[in-house]
Amino acid sequence: MNDEIELREIVHIIKKRFWILGFISILSTLFAGMISYFFMTPIYQSSTQLLVNNSKEEAKAPLTVSDLQFSMNIIQTYIEVITSPRILDQTIRQMNLPLTAAELRKKIQVNTVKQSQIISITVEDPDPGRAAAIANNIALTFQEQVPNIMNVDNVQILATAKVEDHPAPVKPKPLLNMVIAFVVGLMVATLLIFLLEYMDNTLKTEADVEKYLGLPVLGMVGIIEPLAPSPRYTSEEKEAPVTNRSGRILEEPARKGERTIEA
Amino acid sequence: MRHRSERGKNKERAQKLVTLLLPKSPISEAYRTIRTNLQYSSVDKPLHTLMFTSSGPGEGKSTTIANMAVVLAQAGKKILLVDTDLRKPTLHYFFRVPNSLGLTNLLAGGFALKEVIRETSVEGLHLLPSGPIPPNPAELLGSEKMKQAVEEMKSAYDLILFDTPPVIAVTDAQILASELDGVILVVHSGKTNREMAVKAKGLLETVHANLLGVILNHNKMERKKDYYYYYYGKEA
Repeated sequence: MNDEIELREIVHIIKKRFWILGFISILSTLFAGMISYFFMTPIYQSSTQLLVNNSKEEAKAPLTVSDLQFSMNIIQTYIEVITSPRILDQTIRQMNLPLTAAELRKKIQVNTVKQSQIISITVEDPDPGRAAAIANNIALTFQEQVPNIMNVDNVQILATAKVEDHPAPVKPKPLLNMVIAFVVGLMVATLLIFLLEYMDNTLKTEADVEKYLGLPVLGMVGIIEPLAPSPRYTSEEKEAPVTNRSGRILEEPARKGERTIEA
Repeated sequence: MRHRSERGKNKERAQKLVTLLLPKSPISEAYRTIRTNLQYSSVDKPLHTLMFTSSGPGEGKSTTIANMAVVLAQAGKKILLVDTDLRKPTLHYFFRVPNSLGLTNLLAGGFALKEVIRETSVEGLHLLPSGPIPPNPAELLGSEKMKQAVEEMKSAYDLILFDTPPVIAVTDAQILASELDGVILVVHSGKTNREMAVKAKGLLETVHANLLGVILNHNKMERKKDYYYYYYGKEA
């Protein structure tokens, strides 16, 4: 019973200041949209895939658990090698990138699908063409360098990165940003509404009067609106001259600035 | 500028006499409900003198008391409305009567009660405006002359209503409250501060005022309720 009343009170409190809820959530959504569309650099993504083969002799023999373990380990090793400065520095040198190895490292994601022998290299860059070029260059460099580093030659490029005609940026995601901003806006507004309610210590309802004053409420009167605009506030700030029956002007209306002062 | 806005306000005051201008409106109906509740609020001791006050300024004391006076007079009672807000009198604006003569003339100027009372456009409702603003309102209201005046009013009217300044600002209301049969606290919904209202109640209790109850003003009524009242209002 008590809970029900409290819940109704909460609904009432929010309903009363619903405009705050609407205002803040819409404003934050618009703000997030604007930031996403106009101020954030769109980032494009491009990826290549590498296939790691088992060496030929091993492929003939039946697969054992230790073989599988070995190939998983080797893929993990490859992932680390791809992002090592040895590969990245070479790519930077070849492509004349204005980046350090560490900076380039941040643009690259190297993943493997679990239990598979495929490694994908994903590059993010504001320029879709450059993203694809970097991805391809890293893949090629890696393929070239693997025999030197690991003494095996079992990496093939499965798919090269291509630039689509109309590439879609992966970042920012304006819609997602706006949804997040909307939800955050709702939360902030709700907090604000409850804060305002908490700070407002005026008497409002019959229940308030009885709760705080312990006096009976004899009656409640609504808001009295002025019935008609008073003559003073009509569109023309002019008063009709006072005339006698024959229409002769007895008294000119006071003009602006020379209003007579009444006691 | 201030002068002009003050004049605009005074013109609006006459329009706030809803009970006279729109007797069938829900607001007038609300005042009639208060009239009924008032009749039952003090059964043992009939109310003869009644005062309206509030904790702070601008909460609608004068509007409330003026409208209450109208509905009480419409019930066939002989009503005297007295403006004892000698600091900022406004009741004369509601009924559009001059304030050149009034209570202060009665208390300090040697005028007789009959000379300072004004008739209003409402039958059975007479108004005693404040008169010129005196330098010592509290002393005047607490004077022996005031007590005599109230007694004299009692003999001529069924019910005398007193409009007073806010309780917390000045002591005038407290002085009157101790002498009168009942006190009604006007509360402006969404404006009257809780602590101030409690303080006002305490101040009135210290002078053993008979607090009858509260009129909740400026109450945001729900639309549905308005229609409901209008329905019955049109029938009547």
